[in-house]
Amino acid sequence: MSARDEILQALRNNRPTPENHPLPPVATLGDLDASRERFITSLKILGGDVLEPVEGETLDEAILRRHPDAKVICSNVPEARGTLPVERIKTPQDAATIDVTVVRAAFGIAEMGSIFLSEAQLPINSFAHLGQHIVVVLSADAITANMHTAYQKQPEFRSANYGVLMSGPSATADIQGVLIRGAQGVRTLSVWFT
Amino acid sequence: MSNRPVNHAKAAAHFLEDAPHLQFHDERLWDMRQKRDAQMHILPEWQELREEASRIKEHTLSRLPEYLEQFEENAKKNGIHVHWARDGAEHNRIVGEILKAHNARNLIKSKSMVTEECDMRPYLAKQGVTVTETDLGERIQQLDDQLPSHIVVPAVHKLTSDVAKIFAKDYHTDPDIRDPHLLAEAQRQAARPVILHADAGMTGGNFVVAETGTFVVCTNEGNADLSATVPNLHIATIGIERLVPRMADLGIFIRLLSRSALGSPITQYTTHFRGPQKGGEMHVVLVDNGRSARLGMEDFWTSLKCIRCGACMNTCPVYRRSGGLSYGAVYSGPIGAIIDPTFNERKYSTLPYASTLNGSCTNVCPVKINIHEQLYKWRRVLVQHHEMPFVKREIMHMAGKLMGQPKMYRAAIKMTEVSLASMPRFVLYNWLNPWGKHRENPHPVKQTFHDWYKKNRAPGQTDAAETAK
Ligand code: SF4
Repeated sequence: MSARDEILQALRNNRPTPENHPLPPVATLGDLDASRERFITSLKILGGDVLEPVEGETLDEAILRRHPDAKVICSNVPEARGTLPVERIKTPQDAATIDVTVVRAAFGIAEMGSIFLSEAQLPINSFAHLGQHIVVVLSADAITANMHTAYQKQPEFRSANYGVLMSGPSATADIQGVLIRGAQGVRTLSVWFT
Repeated sequence: MSNRPVNHAKAAAHFLEDAPHLQFHDERLWDMRQKRDAQMHILPEWQELREEASRIKEHTLSRLPEYLEQFEENAKKNGIHVHWARDGAEHNRIVGEILKAHNARNLIKSKSMVTEECDMRPYLAKQGVTVTETDLGERIQQLDDQLPSHIVVPAVHKLTSDVAKIFAKDYHTDPDIRDPHLLAEAQRQAARPVILHADAGMTGGNFVVAETGTFVVCTNEGNADLSATVPNLHIATIGIERLVPRMADLGIFIRLLSRSALGSPITQYTTHFRGPQKGGEMHVVLVDNGRSARLGMEDFWTSLKCIRCGACMNTCPVYRRSGGLSYGAVYSGPIGAIIDPTFNERKYSTLPYASTLNGSCTNVCPVKINIHEQLYKWRRVLVQHHEMPFVKREIMHMAGKLMGQPKMYRAAIKMTEVSLASMPRFVLYNWLNPWGKHRENPHPVKQTFHDWYKKNRAPGQTDAAETAK
């Protein structure tokens, strides 16, 4: 017998009686506030930040204000020009030279301050991770309340091959419990609302 | 691999001798536990979430063959290659073959307890494959040639100075660095070129969705996403118990996982893989390695509900004060003590004794596994199977004189005015937990040894554990 069939057979023989363990209906629990304010509070808890425009500033200007030392800025959104045309990013490794990556999130989750990116928002999947910093454009209308509403209502979870919820920048506390923001992925994550 | 019972008591005693490490370890884990509590208090629906999570998992386990088939069908439709491995050896062989077919010599991987179970790294090393762990804690453990000491924070038993020493050897950094930021940066700088030149990437999987053929990976460092998106070949190794039926079920589990583990609302990265990236190839290896047999153990099958959050470890007074390595097993702490004996009953026969049975593990478990009851049941099973652990035998020998003459024992306490608060505690503690002689009992003992013995020698009697809230 193949490993597959042997494993499935063993599970059939050994499992507890299925009738004793019915599937509970889908649950929607907790706070259903989908406001931008809740999103921002959650985002900050996880180390993310909001890029607030100062009077009449463009996104390009705001990015330079936030990251004055950035040399290579690569934008996949029409709202920012950047310095490196996104067409130049052809292989996953190409994204490694980027200082600031600019993308648009498909949606955000107020409970966690998470933003969702998939291949539909990225020229190549590593684009979201290899740059030093990321600026995420998010429409305030595209915020869902919590994890329950996100998984129930966002069609992206069923269509994307690669879908990442980023909640603030990468982080670690693996050395003596000290929280370090900016581990192996992006060092900072800022959200620009449209 | 040796079959000798792990001498947890001795290893723990060793750990206890080192005051700075012990104190940090104890405080760090307790801090994680308190942060978890803070998250729990914010959410009025916390107990409901746990209840739902437990029911969904029990349901899924009772229909695991059907859900695995459903997952396989959907994953294949999306272009994922699905493999099945009966045990660690078969898993390693499958991974080795995939790598060979791609002529892949450099594998980067994120944390996966299943690959530790399978002891994959040495196998691949023999095939000429260089495996680089990309999770910081796991990398520290790899460089130090140790098992992870905790399932979420693998190097939690180390201080900054230990890491500085290890990195100095391999990354040529200053051995006197005392700022963790500099060490984390050293890891980032060392890992980047390896990631950029890797031939293949490997991840684990926290959850698998039958309905859509998706698997989900939760990390904080972003290393799993780098491992999966930079090389074009992605292999995921996943235990067969990780399924949930519906996409919507993830809402429950993602809300519980990181809150229970670290006390943060969510991991920084929650990544959903449903198919290969453009131009890439994706493989999922579903690993049994004893799980299907465990499903048939009436008293222990619910341990398969575990989502590997580590909360039971953080709250366990024995784990906090003995360190994960003292368990001598891939899985340590309370969850380790109830699943390790299913891998090797003799070797891990001592681990179910590494507990005060205080019930705290059960109370914090997000999927409501009755951990402390299973610990107690394992002790009975092990005795029935004549796998009388040598620790217990020794303790019995020690306590035997007193137990053999209970009258004399009771008289002795009364007449010599040995403090009832300390004497039975000493004996009780040594009977249940050999490491107890090195430490104070955190829970007041409400009964004398005599009472305890009378109660516990009768079959079917339960222990003095708190009732699960
Ligand atoms: S047994 Fe429960 S508390 Fe322990 S790691 Fe598993 S899910 Fe977490």
